[in-house]
Amino acid sequence: MKQPFLDVKKISKTFHPGRDVQVQALVDISLTFNRGEFVVIYGPSGSGKTTLLNIMGGLDSPTAGDVLLDGERITGVEEKRLSRLRRDHIGFVFQAYNLIPVLTARENIEYVMQLQGRSRSECDHRTREVAEKLAIAELLDKLPGEMSGGQQQRVAVARAVASRPKLILADEPTANLDSKSAEGLMDMMQALNEDEGITIIFSSHDPLVIGKAKHSILLKDGQVAADEFPG
Amino acid sequence: MFFKIAVRNIFAYSKRSIITVLLLSCTTALLVFSTAYMDGSHGRMIQSSVEIYPGYVQITHKGFRDNPSLENLIFDAGKVRASLKDFPGIAVLTPRFESFVLFSSEEKAVGGMFTGIDPEKEMHVSRLAASLKQGSYLTSNDDAQVYMGRELAKRLKVGVGDQVTFVGTGADYSFAADTLTVKGIFQTGLFDFDSRASFVAKPYFDRMMAAKNIATHFIVQPADPSQAEALAAAIGQRLGPEYESASWQQTMAGLVQAMRVDSIFGYITLGIIFIVIFFVVMIFTLLVVYARVREIGILRAVGTGPGQIFSMLLLESVLLGLVSVVLGGLIGGSFAYYFHINPIVFTSFEEQFKQYGLAMTAMPTDFAPLIILRDMAVMFVLSVSATLYPIFKVNAFKPIEAIHHV
Repeated sequence: MKQPFLDVKKISKTFHPGRDVQVQALVDISLTFNRGEFVVIYGPSGSGKTTLLNIMGGLDSPTAGDVLLDGERITGVEEKRLSRLRRDHIGFVFQAYNLIPVLTARENIEYVMQLQGRSRSECDHRTREVAEKLAIAELLDKLPGEMSGGQQQRVAVARAVASRPKLILADEPTANLDSKSAEGLMDMMQALNEDEGITIIFSSHDPLVIGKAKHSILLKDGQVAADEFPG
Repeated sequence: MFFKIAVRNIFAYSKRSIITVLLLSCTTALLVFSTAYMDGSHGRMIQSSVEIYPGYVQITHKGFRDNPSLENLIFDAGKVRASLKDFPGIAVLTPRFESFVLFSSEEKAVGGMFTGIDPEKEMHVSRLAASLKQGSYLTSNDDAQVYMGRELAKRLKVGVGDQVTFVGTGADYSFAADTLTVKGIFQTGLFDFDSRASFVAKPYFDRMMAAKNIATHFIVQPADPSQAEALAAAIGQRLGPEYESASWQQTMAGLVQAMRVDSIFGYITLGIIFIVIFFVVMIFTLLVVYARVREIGILRAVGTGPGQIFSMLLLESVLLGLVSVVLGGLIGGSFAYYFHINPIVFTSFEEQFKQYGLAMTAMPTDFAPLIILRDMAVMFVLSVSATLYPIFKVNAFKPIEAIHHV
């Protein structure tokens, strides 16, 4: 039997915001994703989308359950190994862009590649390549503070893509963008998914964005309410 | 890349950087100058105390220092002189004969120290000649002329040109007495010394006290005073077990101890300042680093390892520390150099200084580049170590906690 690319097994997550207060963010979630998929996780606010993405990306640990990326367990492993795993296999796009403020767009894009130890020329070549695909070539020498939200988010996507990760996790990447920028960004991400074969999983509650996915998962109250393949 | 981020963060958080650099460079300058002042004043104190009269190296017959009696005199001063002729490291070698007599003037009788010296050589081993206040200094040809301390003269109520008689015991236990004319009056600033010391030319002393070729001790002026200890040891070896050769560190052990105690108190004061600065820098860094937790979370999220984050933050602290100590070292060093060339003058504290054996009011700092570098290194280690706890603390955040940190 073929092993799924990303295997989420019986994940639960409980937060304890205060003494004797607990919030069950995810309840016994199991999902499988194949390589090269373009997936949306949607649902109302507080349904657990961000928590699920964080756990799938190794940024947070589940209270129970396991996540396997390409057969490798990413839950319950030590932070140093997890950092390497995120560096080499997972790209992140955050709702608030989260670029490194003191680095230019070019340096932000090259950052992960440099962490991976890629050569100067390889970094340059790859940066130019993704910058052209995401139409940010003219922004490469600008600092994040000198760019609009849409431009920053495209740089953030370029940073996530440049290191050729196996998986990109995008948490509401269009939430802070106007509809035109949002659609443009989603088209670019879709193109990257098709051109480079990167598995992209993103969360959203924007119907326009949700409609672009080929695999959609509806979360409600921390549980999977629907798992469909509309495309 | 980490270096680039560290440097840019230093400029991006310019307020933090400026305050840290100011704080650390001022402390470094303070440390460098305090050490230079402390070492300078101790050096001057030692120089002053040693050079007023005791000398850098003292040669005595074995047992004289513990029991300064007539049995323990150097009975063949010529032999000592001959043994040390052309001895490397000796600039001047001169004998002294110290005895105690009863002085009497028309009005008073006072006990005092009566010492035979070689006036010309004595000028190179002590400050007696330089301490002249009235009259004139001695010469070898002076017969029945005395050079006495100002306080002793006061007690005897005599001045230059007046006569005093002395009664004492010669080296052969004979009775010695004569009438002396006061040729000069000196004041070293050491009250006790000035109130009991008197000097006559050695040829006269030898005749009166039956002390020809006899001395209580020799004083050696080293070519390099900083090598006094080594020279004393070498002289001791040359002269053999019959004699004792002691450097000023041994003959003035009390002064050395006092310097040590003063240094300890000085360093305790500096230590308290350092502890305060350490915690100020630590708390300040903690506040600043906490303001950057989210940024650190982003770096962690995209794959930067905890060790790399640690290195990057440490690099920032190292760079700030380096700039601070270099700046502080230059400032403190410049002050130390300036006051080394132009000593600080404490005119109004003259009397207090004299009580501590300082016959001078100008206090130069000690400009020693190696000591300055040592102080800079201490401050650098202190500044970097003050940032370790905040770095560990912020690095302990999970990436997701850090990203959502407010």
